[in-house]
Amino acid sequence: MTAVVTDKNDDRVPTRIEAGIKVKGAARFAAEIPIQGVMHAALVQAPLASARIRHIDASKARAQPGVVSVITHEAMPRLNQGAFLALLREPRVHFAGQPVAVVVAETATHARRAVALINVDYEALPAITSVTQGSSEAFAPKVAGRTSTDSRRGEPEGAMAAAEVTIEKRYTTPTHNHLALEPQCVIAVWDRDGAGVTVHTGSQAVFAHRKAIADGFGLSVGRVRVVSKYLGGGFGSKGSAWLPCLMLGIAAARHVGRPVKLELTRAQMFTLVGRRQETIQTLKLGAMRDGRLVAMTHDTVAQTSSFADYADPVATPTRVLYACPNVATSHRLVRVNAPQPNPMRAPGEGPGSFALESALDELAHVLKMDPLALRLRNYAERDQHVDLPWSSNGLRDCCRVGAQSFGWARRPIAIGTMRDGHHVLGWGMAAACYPVYRMASEAVVRIEANGTVRVRCGTQDMGSGTYTVLAQLAAEALGVPVDGIDVELGDTALPEGPYSGGSMATASFTPAVEAAAGRVRQRLIDLVIEDGESPLHGLSADQLVLSDGYIRAGTGNAAERLADVVARRAPDGIEAFADAAPDAAPRYSSYGYGAIFAEVRVDVDLGEVRVVRLTAAYAAGRILNRRLARSQFIGGIVGGIGMALHETTIMDERLGRIVNDNLADYLIPVHADMPAFDIHMIDEDDPHLAGGIKGIGMLGTVGTAAAIANAVFHATGRRIRDLPIRLEHCL
Amino acid sequence: MTDHGDDQVMVTLRVNGCDHEVVADVCATLLDVLRDGLSLTGTKKGCDMGACGACTVLIDGRRIKSCLALAVMQDDKDILTIEGLASGEEPHALQRAFVEHDALQCGYCTPGQIMSAVGLMQEGRATSGASIREFMSGNLCRCGAHPHIVAAIAQVAGIVP
Repeated sequence: MTAVVTDKNDDRVPTRIEAGIKVKGAARFAAEIPIQGVMHAALVQAPLASARIRHIDASKARAQPGVVSVITHEAMPRLNQGAFLALLREPRVHFAGQPVAVVVAETATHARRAVALINVDYEALPAITSVTQGSSEAFAPKVAGRTSTDSRRGEPEGAMAAAEVTIEKRYTTPTHNHLALEPQCVIAVWDRDGAGVTVHTGSQAVFAHRKAIADGFGLSVGRVRVVSKYLGGGFGSKGSAWLPCLMLGIAAARHVGRPVKLELTRAQMFTLVGRRQETIQTLKLGAMRDGRLVAMTHDTVAQTSSFADYADPVATPTRVLYACPNVATSHRLVRVNAPQPNPMRAPGEGPGSFALESALDELAHVLKMDPLALRLRNYAERDQHVDLPWSSNGLRDCCRVGAQSFGWARRPIAIGTMRDGHHVLGWGMAAACYPVYRMASEAVVRIEANGTVRVRCGTQDMGSGTYTVLAQLAAEALGVPVDGIDVELGDTALPEGPYSGGSMATASFTPAVEAAAGRVRQRLIDLVIEDGESPLHGLSADQLVLSDGYIRAGTGNAAERLADVVARRAPDGIEAFADAAPDAAPRYSSYGYGAIFAEVRVDVDLGEVRVVRLTAAYAAGRILNRRLARSQFIGGIVGGIGMALHETTIMDERLGRIVNDNLADYLIPVHADMPAFDIHMIDEDDPHLAGGIKGIGMLGTVGTAAAIANAVFHATGRRIRDLPIRLEHCL
Repeated sequence: MTDHGDDQVMVTLRVNGCDHEVVADVCATLLDVLRDGLSLTGTKKGCDMGACGACTVLIDGRRIKSCLALAVMQDDKDILTIEGLASGEEPHALQRAFVEHDALQCGYCTPGQIMSAVGLMQEGRATSGASIREFMSGNLCRCGAHPHIVAAIAQVAGIVP
């Protein structure tokens, strides 16, 4: 029997170590860093989806008091071209909202007022403003996320023709925006000689941003410092998607020779820092009457911009989650004069699992089979996509634990039979998987002569709990309380740490931090053993334990404070560096798994859908902090609730502009939308993963929308294949 | 309030019990003056149009969105921000409960959630989980800390959510 920890918080699990300063309002986010003499930048944005700029008249703006400079494509310093849109490089507009000039002024108010005084003369050009308009020009991108664009195993067409039951359905998911609560901001401070720059910004990847800035401005990385101590959410929008405007802010600071702050407005966050691309997915399933899948095809057409290609890995769940000998998948893109898509929480797997897990529910209905039984019948014993064994696969445990807690066995197979007044209830479920990604990481662990332990790793904490788990890893290795540990992250002056994205940060830094802490521990042990003054002198390493700030003999009372050992034998402190990198050629395939069960309540008169309760069970490797992991899983699930019921970025197809670019009209789940959560984490000891970590940030978002849509079907008999589910779908 | 010309006026803001004389643009929001004029950056800007609640503060005990309030209209009023909530070193019960329940992730919406919860309790609306959820819905959270926020408020209000 696998150990399962339910969602009751354990008081012994550390609380978030930086929570104390966050609840006091004392954590300083990027826009709040005080910089002497900082100037303020504001953007002039194009109102057209495609245009050529004939002329920009900034004379009125330049004459305003407080205005320092107006930078257009004519004055913009040339940056070395990187893998991002270089703004103000050419007199060309690719999407509505694209910046065409930047004003720098003494105050933000002066800058905003000047923006309104700039006249841009545009020549409108023909624009493609929707995927449908451009679908005849669909093309194959080079990659889909980190995976191949197309895949094929077996003979899907022949097997589909021979299947006893087939279904073929089209599912669509709309554009989403990340919408971290903290708007993107950069404060760029160039050195006096212009040879280097310090950049304060909310960054999910300080080292990747440092490299891009250094390359763009022709500097060595040593002359660029990127600092991001607190990050007010990211969800994918504060990685490379932020580069175009980040570079613009830094260029403006260089241009005026003063520190410059560029803070985006909420509306600008809909156009300038990425989006989850709209998808149109066609899924075909072929099965035998007993539920065995014999063929699957999954073809996705998605939006990209007119200037760069990006495809989410939508087909990943279809490729790996179930056993099926004959599978073909494809990803195609359509160029639209719209903002550039990029990864958003559970990129690809989120929208892809909506289609796959909805289709399986449709198949179960046709077969008159229990939807959970259908999943278990098709459990995959190995990864057939890359033909490797699993490092571990806890899907069956997730299904068992989740179903039991939810009470799934009591689900009537008939539609619309659970009624409560003029509400009808429905139960739906979905399975989930998300790949384990890892990158290289360095870390330094140090103990000072006063006993203070420090962990230094140039990764980021965007709310994911990184500060806390970095402290826990060192605390565990050195037997010291988490409380007093000093963690430094979010700065390129630190050892190089991983991105905060793709659920990979913890999996990446854990082996490095554990190795560095292990070296400090070994050094402490060596010091007491060889030190004639120590009460532990002469003992062997395996007779010693480190706990509560002491190093002690495993038996007897001999003990010494760590601080005393360091003060006496290493007054400058003990420090160790370590690095860790993933295997170049993995011998196992690794995914985190989940099973999610939803109860919805539909008002039959009004069509209103409420999620009443959600049970989810996850098997995602070693969980470092169950309190914070529960928060991460719920956070991911809330993203899935938004995907199911609320979120959509609406384009006006005539003008190519976003209609609902604010937080009143783009709906995200609020307190009143919350169901009761019942979260289970299954202990999983994966011997094939360094540190045993799988990553959990994305997994909650996978499958949730399908579980809710399947529950709506169970309640109403309405199969909603186009997200989000709205009132009119259920009337 | 004194006119300083060029759309600037001098206003006295009583924030967390201290009077501050500030020269502010007549159209400056209380939020911008708190953050930029007084360096009280605990009050957050999330949307600048009253849709997210990150800028929630209490004025004369009532919760308001400081991005929709003009600074020049706050003469003679008591403004309470997140920085003034604790009693010296002793955190407010809600601040402690937010930590214990992990009612925050990135922490950016947190000051607004806490100030809004203070207002909610003073309004007598923290009476049930459903009431807390309904009357906290003007405070958006993108990390998904909602159930833990409600649990923290319920604990301080002494109810079972």
